[in-house]
Amino acid sequence: MKRRWKSALLWLAAPLLAGCGGSANGPAESSEQVAEFDQNLSGVWQAMNTANYDLEAHHARHALQTIEGPWGPQPDPRVVHLGAVGAVPAGDSVVQSGTIPYTDEALARRNENRANWIDRDPEIKCYLPGLPRATYMPFPFQIIQNDKAMLFAYEYANAVRNINLEDPGEAPLDSWMGQSYGYWDGNTFVIEVTAQNGQTWFDRSGNFGSPQMKVTERYTKISPDHIQYEATIDDPETYTEPWTIDMILYRKVGKEAQLQEFNCVEFVEELMYGHLRKEPLR
Amino acid sequence: MKKLFVSALALLACNTQAFASEPWDPAYEPPRMADGTPDMQGIWTSASITVLERPDGIDDLILSEIEALALEQGTFEAYGVQEDMEPTDPDAPALAKGDSSIRGAGGYNSFWVDFGNKVGRINGEPRSSWVVEPETGKLPWAPEGAMTFMQVGAQMTRNFDDPEVRPAAERCTIGFGSTGGPPMINVLYNNHYQIVQSPETVAILVEMNHNTRLVRMNSEHRPGALRGWLGDSIGRWEGDTLVVNTTNFHPDAGVRGAIRHRFYLSAEAKVEERFTLKSDDEIFYEFYVDDPSIYTQVWKGEMPLRRAEGPIYEYACHEANYSLPNILAGARRQEAEAAGN
Repeated sequence: MKRRWKSALLWLAAPLLAGCGGSANGPAESSEQVAEFDQNLSGVWQAMNTANYDLEAHHARHALQTIEGPWGPQPDPRVVHLGAVGAVPAGDSVVQSGTIPYTDEALARRNENRANWIDRDPEIKCYLPGLPRATYMPFPFQIIQNDKAMLFAYEYANAVRNINLEDPGEAPLDSWMGQSYGYWDGNTFVIEVTAQNGQTWFDRSGNFGSPQMKVTERYTKISPDHIQYEATIDDPETYTEPWTIDMILYRKVGKEAQLQEFNCVEFVEELMYGHLRKEPLR
Repeated sequence: MKKLFVSALALLACNTQAFASEPWDPAYEPPRMADGTPDMQGIWTSASITVLERPDGIDDLILSEIEALALEQGTFEAYGVQEDMEPTDPDAPALAKGDSSIRGAGGYNSFWVDFGNKVGRINGEPRSSWVVEPETGKLPWAPEGAMTFMQVGAQMTRNFDDPEVRPAAERCTIGFGSTGGPPMINVLYNNHYQIVQSPETVAILVEMNHNTRLVRMNSEHRPGALRGWLGDSIGRWEGDTLVVNTTNFHPDAGVRGAIRHRFYLSAEAKVEERFTLKSDDEIFYEFYVDDPSIYTQVWKGEMPLRRAEGPIYEYACHEANYSLPNILAGARRQEAEAAGN
């Protein structure tokens, strides 16, 4: 029964696949094989993990911003009223090597970032997230794909990126979301992201890269509803060697397969400009 | 300084293409997607001398070729000035108050302006306005609609108390002047759109401010509780025409103000847009605005979208928004000085 259902899906997907994604690398010897390695990434996807809190393994803890209490860390007064909502859920590392191979200097800065999270995390100010963070924020994103074009639209902050399907050469300027160049490597869609501006973070724990960073993403369908996602971060200015994260992306289905709007600019006006009101609220 | 330079590059990088707009070929057959629908994908621009409403002193919708040429020549003379293309002298002294001897003082010089250099043409005919209904080319304001617009607009002109009353251009919530629409209207610069299609979704990426309108095909509107800065858009194909219906706008998206046009939409306004490919390089873009609390009748616009060179570069606005805090801080300073502090 399960198999028949899968075949039906394949049959439905066949016309879509025909029009999608460059050369059909790897002969489709059986329908099973196509199912496992199809080249259609269209849909609404979301990660389900705690990578946006911290790429590395982390215990559950009181808050993202803490102060020293008599028996250990306690929530900082700026977040204490959030209670359990402001606590950090535990998560395993998504970094293949366990920890990020920072240079000594960069590690010191990461730790300083973390200690000053509430003042420094670009997410707090609704800034564009950059890559790879856009992928695993707690919001879905939509891939619109055909044989001529590919667009990634993210719910968070109206972030968006066009994927160049031909090599655009060196980007003429840097930007928050960088320049994306994508191509198929067998049944994996590879996107090389360059020319990010170095002002984005990877998570709420201060992990970061420099403007020289190159992110190489790999999207591989492992079932109709799952993508194996990998991103290799190469930035000799910040790390002693390239490192890789991996995680699963899940397809949103039914009524949930659509993006809502999260235009957070208006939500941070009080934080950023509230002190300039004629009559400050507090 | 570097930031400014980079911004300049971003503005110029997507320069408007001036394709000649010929009369449409009735036998034109559009390229098609795998599902048979017309392939409208690519980068498009609405940059044009033609504006939403017909300028005073012009009676007819269709201009003569002489009139069109005169308008284009006038624009060239006003904005094609070499001195405006030179870098600004960073050591130049501040201008005296009210001194307008330097072009663009207090605002943009023409280096920054990219609203096009051609009159918009529909089926080869040069147009004096996008509005075709009413025939006057003017918006059919209802008295109460004009009053609403004036009240909200007056807030933006005079009220500097809070960020929420400032216009979109200052808040960086969305691009100003209805550039993101709907209806999508040409503004001072950054008039580019990218369309990417799938059977389920037609994405319209708006250059300013990186807003993507995700048109859900063959779907229904979301409940009114789910409002969008660009409204809630659903679409369908009628033959080879893409029809997009939009309503449920964010209440702060009402004022659509730019240098060359101003209008207002209530949160309940209904906009229908119709996109038809008329050549490989031109989309005939029609829009109907139905907003009975603001206008006495449904009004209609017709506009060409012309294919442009890409890519579209990122227009990140909020991330470097120094104008809004400076505007508010300036007002606080004035108040302090007025109070003798």
